[in-house]
Amino acid sequence: MLPVKYNAGNVVLRWRSTLATILGISMVVAVYVIVQALAVGLQTSSANTGDPRNLLIVRKGSQSESSSVVNLEQFRSLRYSEWIERDAQNQPMISTDVLTLVNLPRLNGQGEANTTVRGIGGQGRVLRPQVNLVEGRWFSKGKREVVVSQRLAARFENFGIGDQFKTGPDWLTVVGWFDGGNSAFDSEVWADADEVRSLFDRESYSSLLIRPASGQGRAALVKQIEEDKRLQLLVKNEVDYYKEQTMTATPIKWMGNFLATAMSLGAILAAMNTMYATVGARTREIGTLRVLGFRRRTIVLGLLIEGILLCAVGGILGCLLSLPLNGYATGTIGIESFSETVFEFTITPKLAFQGIVFSVLIGLFGTLIPAIKASRTPVIDALKSL
Amino acid sequence: MTTASFILRNALRNKRRATLSALSVAVSLFLFITLQVTLRELTIPPEDVGASLRIAVRNKVSLAQPLPFRQLQQIEKINGVEAITPFTYFGGLYRNESFTTFAQFAVDPVRFTNVFLEAKIADDHLEAWLKNRGSCLVGVDTIKRYNLEIGEKMLLSGTFYPVNLDMEIVGIYEGTFDDRNVFFHHKYLDEMTDDPGTVGTWWVRAGSAEVAPNVVHTINETFANTSAEVRAESERAFQMGFVSMWGNIQMLIDSICSAIVFTLLLVTVSTMSMAIRERFRELAILKAIGYRRHELLAFILAESLLLSLLGAVIGVGGAAWLFSTIDIQQLSSGMFVFFEVTNKMLGTAFLISLVLGVVAGIAPGWSVCRMSVVDGLKTLD
Repeated sequence: MLPVKYNAGNVVLRWRSTLATILGISMVVAVYVIVQALAVGLQTSSANTGDPRNLLIVRKGSQSESSSVVNLEQFRSLRYSEWIERDAQNQPMISTDVLTLVNLPRLNGQGEANTTVRGIGGQGRVLRPQVNLVEGRWFSKGKREVVVSQRLAARFENFGIGDQFKTGPDWLTVVGWFDGGNSAFDSEVWADADEVRSLFDRESYSSLLIRPASGQGRAALVKQIEEDKRLQLLVKNEVDYYKEQTMTATPIKWMGNFLATAMSLGAILAAMNTMYATVGARTREIGTLRVLGFRRRTIVLGLLIEGILLCAVGGILGCLLSLPLNGYATGTIGIESFSETVFEFTITPKLAFQGIVFSVLIGLFGTLIPAIKASRTPVIDALKSL
Repeated sequence: MTTASFILRNALRNKRRATLSALSVAVSLFLFITLQVTLRELTIPPEDVGASLRIAVRNKVSLAQPLPFRQLQQIEKINGVEAITPFTYFGGLYRNESFTTFAQFAVDPVRFTNVFLEAKIADDHLEAWLKNRGSCLVGVDTIKRYNLEIGEKMLLSGTFYPVNLDMEIVGIYEGTFDDRNVFFHHKYLDEMTDDPGTVGTWWVRAGSAEVAPNVVHTINETFANTSAEVRAESERAFQMGFVSMWGNIQMLIDSICSAIVFTLLLVTVSTMSMAIRERFRELAILKAIGYRRHELLAFILAESLLLSLLGAVIGVGGAAWLFSTIDIQQLSSGMFVFFEVTNKMLGTAFLISLVLGVVAGIAPGWSVCRMSVVDGLKTLD
């Protein structure tokens, strides 16, 4: 085994090309980590949404809450089911929600985008304890008031508290900001369900959120809904429903993998170039090592360690470069919801680890051929070379 | 030996390094082109495809909000409106797919052909479609992708609408910017949903480019302060609305492109200076026998330009060739349509490689110019 000090010394000696290789690899790793952090962020926000005690009911065949329709008749047939939990006032814990899209201007004149407006029923807030008011107050019924997510407020015009925006012929007033706890609710504007229905001319609701009674309640309620063929409704744990809304993350993941593959190919070429040069310049040195009795595989191993070390430094640097973006809120169109979806770049330890493993692989493939070649040069030739 | 062959020999003297350098430039520029092509694909039709005289009219609230059918007559009366058709997005799923990439629209068949003049439909197909309320017209790309035939059934399960459609394919169209769609009778949708009073959007054709802005303005004015205010805009502006919905994704792709170009620069500069430092002694000899500084600089620049342009030819040419050869629709399951490398992209990529060559050559070239002949001759490495 060659002492690591030997490798480290070499890395420092040719610092210019070493630095270029390290920086190059750090860029590759940073791009990989950042793009995957988007996908992770989207998935985290979906997975964070909902309360494990709740059931969500949508129309069979709809792909998202906003495209679902639950009519009044369906609602009435479920409303007084004995399997629904009651609150202190003996009211069934059920929220009739209606979702609609409103096209609004982004901040700083960067075009327009759809936002999801969710009208929530009476128990809607109680059933979603993860959503908390951070400023202002909750809307009052009948006054055309809305509460917007703090995250959305940072991205759209007229979402300041007290501001008004127009939808169709009506003006709505923003009276408060909420925080959705890094969930899908962070991409929503909330108002009263019946008011939203009248504003947007909807006869039906979009979805029902229900807290089943403890004990047998959940299973019995699911059975009741599934067995009633007239209903044609899909009932799911609220948490599971949102967790599965990940269509938006798929193309981003795909892009991340494509970029990673293509960029690493370039990085391997660059690493090979550097390693060939450092190895080439040391032909004599390597010959000397052979004379001293170091075996070929020891030399190959030594050079591999050197190359991997070099690239791993790049990998770590890349992770560090991407780290400031962790937690940074960003947004794009949600494929299921067809509206602005806000989420955070989320760099998990696993993702950072993957990035570093990636750089190590680049180091391995970049060094292998030059190292083998160097170890195969006949000792005499190596010693003779200048 | 001519100057040109001297440069060429020098560039290729270390064949392995020349190959690796050119290839790393090639890979990066290939990636650059791919990202640009993808970015362009996010807008269909892409921004740079010729504008049409069409105007899209949607509810001002958002696309999800329907429009009342009664608006048809009012719009038709406006000066400069040549044709109008209802145009309602159905958003159905086909064959158990979880994501169907072709869109389906309910239209008025006669009016539709007057608005979308470029759609080429065989006479017998058109006739059959007009006659049969339960029939549909399918874009040639979708026909090919699913190996469909005339007379086959087209079954769609609704995601927005709580109904499933069962139609017969009677015709094929082609020649529009997006030959993937399915068009069917609006009356059929009305029957199924039991709602004859609403449509998704209106598509209008203006008589000429001169009157189009005025038509847009008048349509918007006509419905201002009614219960269904509209947003009329040119087809282009309508499509650009989708682009702005992508939000930060566009910025992200742009930053990735910059990161790639930056990395490329870094690596190429380093390789180039490696190549030059190896030859310090030799260059010192050239200096000693009377070559001028600017001549040496020119040699080095030419060499680095040669390598980076070679890389560009391989990478950019490869991308252009690949994307024009492969069937991107088939590969991406209909997600991408054009995947076309435009002249602008070609220009940008070659410009990058040009800058790359110059920048990579200047640093080592400069140190060669400044070294004294004695020092250069002394270098061993």
